[in-house]
Amino acid sequence: MTTFIARRILFALVLLAAVSLFTYLLFALLPTDPAALTCGKNCKPELIAANRVRLGYDKPIYEQYWQFIKGIFAGRTYGSGDIAFTCPAPSLGYSFNQHECVSTLIGKTFPVTAFLSLGAFILWMLLGVGTGTFAALHRGKWQDRLTSVVTSIGVSLPTFYVGLLVLFSVVIWLQWLPFPHYASPTENLHDFLTAMILPWITLAVLSAASYTRLTRNGVLEAMNEDFVRFGVAKGLKNRTVIRRYVLRAALIPIVTIAGLDFAALLGGAIVTESVFSLPGMGRLAIRSVTDSDLPVLVGTTLVAAVFIVMANTIVDIVYGVLDPRVRVK
Amino acid sequence: MKRRIIGLLGLALSASLIASACGSDSSSSTDTAVSNDTVATPGTDAGTPTTGGTIHILSQLEQITHLDPQRNYTGSDLAFVGSTMQRALTSYAYAPGSDGSKLVADLATDTGTPTEGGKVWSFTLRDGATYEDGSAVTCADIAYGVSRVFATDIIVDGPTYAITYLDIPKDADDNSVYPGPYTAKADQQALFDKAVACSEDGKTITFTLSRVVSDFNYTTTLLAFSPVPKAKDTGEKYDMAPVSSGPYKIKSYEPGKSLVLVRNENWSKASDPIRNAYADSFVYEFALDPAVIDERLIADAGDDQYAVSDGGLQPENLQTVFDDERFKDRRQDDYDPYVSFTAFNAKTVSCVEVRRAVYLGLDREALRTAGGGPYTGDFADGFIKPALADDYAPNKMPEGLNADGTPNVEAAKAALTEAKTKCPDVYAKATGEGLKFFHPDTPTWQKNISIWIESLKAVGIVIKPTAVEPSKYYPTVQSDETDYDIARGAWGPDWPNASTMIPELFLTTGGFNLTRNGDDPAYKQFETDTKAALAELDRSAQGTKWKALNQFLVDQLWSLPGTFLKAQDLWGSKVGNAYRWSSSGSFLFGELYVKQ
Amino acid sequence: MEKVPLLSVENLNVEFSTPDGVVHAVNNVSFAVESGETLGIVGESGSGKSVTASSILKLNSGVTAKTQGAILFNGRDVLGADDKTIRSIRGSEIAMIFQDPLSALNPYYTIGNQIIEAYRVHHRDVKKSAARKIALEMLHRVGIPNPEARIDEYPHQFSGGMRQRIVIATALINSPKLLIADEPTTALDVTVQAQILDLMKDIQKENGMAIILITHDLGVVAETCDDVAVMYGGRIVEKATVNELFLTPTHPYSFGLLGAVRSLDNSARGELQTIAGSPPSLLHLPSGCSFLPRCGYAQQNLAQCSSVVPELEKVSPTESFSACHLRTEALISLKMKELA
Repeated sequence: MTTFIARRILFALVLLAAVSLFTYLLFALLPTDPAALTCGKNCKPELIAANRVRLGYDKPIYEQYWQFIKGIFAGRTYGSGDIAFTCPAPSLGYSFNQHECVSTLIGKTFPVTAFLSLGAFILWMLLGVGTGTFAALHRGKWQDRLTSVVTSIGVSLPTFYVGLLVLFSVVIWLQWLPFPHYASPTENLHDFLTAMILPWITLAVLSAASYTRLTRNGVLEAMNEDFVRFGVAKGLKNRTVIRRYVLRAALIPIVTIAGLDFAALLGGAIVTESVFSLPGMGRLAIRSVTDSDLPVLVGTTLVAAVFIVMANTIVDIVYGVLDPRVRVK
Repeated sequence: MKRRIIGLLGLALSASLIASACGSDSSSSTDTAVSNDTVATPGTDAGTPTTGGTIHILSQLEQITHLDPQRNYTGSDLAFVGSTMQRALTSYAYAPGSDGSKLVADLATDTGTPTEGGKVWSFTLRDGATYEDGSAVTCADIAYGVSRVFATDIIVDGPTYAITYLDIPKDADDNSVYPGPYTAKADQQALFDKAVACSEDGKTITFTLSRVVSDFNYTTTLLAFSPVPKAKDTGEKYDMAPVSSGPYKIKSYEPGKSLVLVRNENWSKASDPIRNAYADSFVYEFALDPAVIDERLIADAGDDQYAVSDGGLQPENLQTVFDDERFKDRRQDDYDPYVSFTAFNAKTVSCVEVRRAVYLGLDREALRTAGGGPYTGDFADGFIKPALADDYAPNKMPEGLNADGTPNVEAAKAALTEAKTKCPDVYAKATGEGLKFFHPDTPTWQKNISIWIESLKAVGIVIKPTAVEPSKYYPTVQSDETDYDIARGAWGPDWPNASTMIPELFLTTGGFNLTRNGDDPAYKQFETDTKAALAELDRSAQGTKWKALNQFLVDQLWSLPGTFLKAQDLWGSKVGNAYRWSSSGSFLFGELYVKQ
Repeated sequence: MEKVPLLSVENLNVEFSTPDGVVHAVNNVSFAVESGETLGIVGESGSGKSVTASSILKLNSGVTAKTQGAILFNGRDVLGADDKTIRSIRGSEIAMIFQDPLSALNPYYTIGNQIIEAYRVHHRDVKKSAARKIALEMLHRVGIPNPEARIDEYPHQFSGGMRQRIVIATALINSPKLLIADEPTTALDVTVQAQILDLMKDIQKENGMAIILITHDLGVVAETCDDVAVMYGGRIVEKATVNELFLTPTHPYSFGLLGAVRSLDNSARGELQTIAGSPPSLLHLPSGCSFLPRCGYAQQNLAQCSSVVPELEKVSPTESFSACHLRTEALISLKMKELA
């Protein structure tokens, strides 16, 4: 187990280095000129050139990358004299667009995304697994057919429009809730909950649709397993069989997908955050893209990558816990 | 393992794809020409302003582009920051309509005194102006603020007129030898201190310019001429927490969430002749989806009754808002500061007949329709908008130009026939190999360019399009190496004087001259007349000169006038003073009040 | 007084509705099993033998199955029993084991866990530790070496034969009166097969339980069973004692089955013989005898065979029952002709 985790961490580090390098290279190949984008109204070639120096994009890409790597371990200082400032280690750079160290930006936005993801995840797993199991147990009956219709609609709805519709109807038209103004839960629990409830529901309902399908199919498949029939033949109660035999088998593949989906969410639920004006990492990432703000772009990409790698590792470990057949020795 | 690597690649790829796709479609406005057919509905309202309450500003932005006065340049930001937190030497009257272009004194006691024919300007400072901490605004602070403009490695994005105008030597590359206050050596600082000097008693600030600038007191309305207390300057970081000299100060600023302004108790109305500061506080709400902003303003519920937007209405909601009388007291359809145009490279299209043939034959109405119809704006009859009341007069348009924007193929062909004998080379190029049209690679322009090609085909003119990545478009066409024949652009005045339009667009030294007209036979005359206008100290005499020059430009057609662009707004039912301030093209945010 | 059999199945009919139509899986099946006896149910896959077996524990219900007829266990109505009653019978009085020991055990729990669960579901008041002792004994009984060490292992850590022993241990933990074994050895090696069958016979001898053995393997039947029911197309086509079936089969399908076995014995001579054709679709059963398309003896009686479903009737002079329009004498003479 220890070597397994050690191997995993080593792999993750190599992968992250590759991802960051790749992002740098990709950025260098982009047709967009970040120096031109951040230069104001009088955008003359000389000003763009000066801007490029200020942003550090004039240096060769390998040198920019080296500065970036150095910053992670040693921190980075920008400017000089009285107005110099430092992004302490682990520094992911400084955003000249947002006047803030990238690590600070991520530190501010990540909790929002984490709360959003976690709440939505719990909600959608309960909803998806619950409904999916319900539909499977009523296979072929109207309950099943209704579920199937609802989920078909659910999986095909775009988050953006559902989000807008939910926001318009609940907040603007019916005014059941105030317009969401995010606050951290320790700061103002009421604002936190009113800001989160709709995004949670939006994300959860849409994702639950596909999880309902997955669960329904998984449960039906599991119900055909010999060991499930054997369980019934033992005289076990239906509920016991569903819980200990059917769901256990049906949920294992779902855990894998759920883990990766959750990790992807942690990387930023871009659309939901935008619609509901949540100051999360998804919006940070998308803004860095439109601003061509390389440090933030690399930072958010790396954090997202960390979560995907972590999620993979956790999924593998959980998988082993759930299924003794693949347990790591 | 494969799965997860692909996942990561996907992540990085999608990020970069979005990056290239969202480059910028900032001015997606259309092109095209002349008529004055739409009557604007100004958003002025009767009623007595009342004090108190909170005004909400709904914004699509993640944060204010720049709060730092020296970095603040865009119209809306200038209006917001200027009317709430940063005072400058001069300003424009806080009034609707063309009165909003009237120059008034702010930190100065009057609008400045030019000497040496406009080469030296001095301003006497008003007593009693203070910062949010109660300390007095000093002459040295104003000088220090101006000096920051020279630190072009830190104080970026702002207007650089100070560098252009002040009498400080430049090096061979035309860069100022003064590097700004952060890195200046004593001798360099002395050069600046000579150009921007405070009197012994600290009551008068004097600017010595390198040449005559007759409207330098307009320049000083820019917040680049706002005071910054040296001890509080944090350079790059000052943008997040500038010190206020206006009626409001920052209570909290969280980019991506909100900016909350509350009253600056140390501001005194007695020291400020222009600001009224009715509302108790302002809440700038960031990062709202534009669809959400519109819907909230349409619904007009709760706090949104006290809300305005800094971004205008979405095209898809214009019908709803302008067809419904419910909204009649809280909407406006009015000009913004911008004029769009299409510039010819006068070196390669050195034939006014060909340029006129293009103008006459172009389906400007189709272009306007593609851009959103009449809400896009009115066909421009020159390069000065009617809002510049001192400088605008209707122009005489070329014979045969259809006022409704539809092409006049007959007239265009006639002009082309004329060109055939007068300038056979350009004629051959225009009808043969074609005119190279560089346009930004945006969805709007992908539509527009085909209208260009098709409508001019009917005349016999060939258009050869080149699409340029949007963020690189202006740098590309501003580079001398780019061999376009036609390029497009849009420009707004930096202050309500055609001095920031005509010279910028058409002098070879201008900031945005895409016409390469320096060798044109008509240029010498134009340059002489323009310099005379720039040097004219009498405002109305100057206006007469600009009117004549505007007509001259329509006759020369180095650029084809496009559209006097318009924008549409909707605001909450309990917002007072919601009018478009002509000098910024946006609301005058600080003057908004809560209606009882 | 007539003796009441342990289990009697009368006129059992099972249908499944599927998107393609109604599958008539079991049609008018009747049989009985006595304590201590072993009944073999033989047939090709799809002949309805597994469905018949599942019906006894009402394992077909819940999905889309429709079951009619009567199943009496110890004189009690099984088909009509409510969920609670049937649960108390399942695993306690009637146990069932399945074809594939590799998939019959829940892979996510230890084998001990599963055996203890099977015991405690019917003995709620017995403590886990006591149940564990009983499970250990049972594991020992079915021949798992060193059960103390292995009881906390997972199914995948055992070989196929061992797993079937564990399945049997689980099934027998409550000393059922009837064990339904659905192809218990099919998935196993030949040597392991014999061990498992011996184990079942040994236990039967000890506790006198009845066994219904479902198989397609006549060799297994010959070794293990007292009586045999041959199923074809969802019906019993012949019912006889083992001896009678092997010595004097009375249904043309049984001829074929036995022929297939014998040809295996004679495979050295290269006379491998299989039944030509394929089993009938249970979706569209023919109006007459469902074996007709594959029957080599029906030429003289085509009209009747193709229109009337033959009933299971006693065949003189044997004790067998057969569902065939052709009477034994005629069949024998035809068979003789064929052999000659």
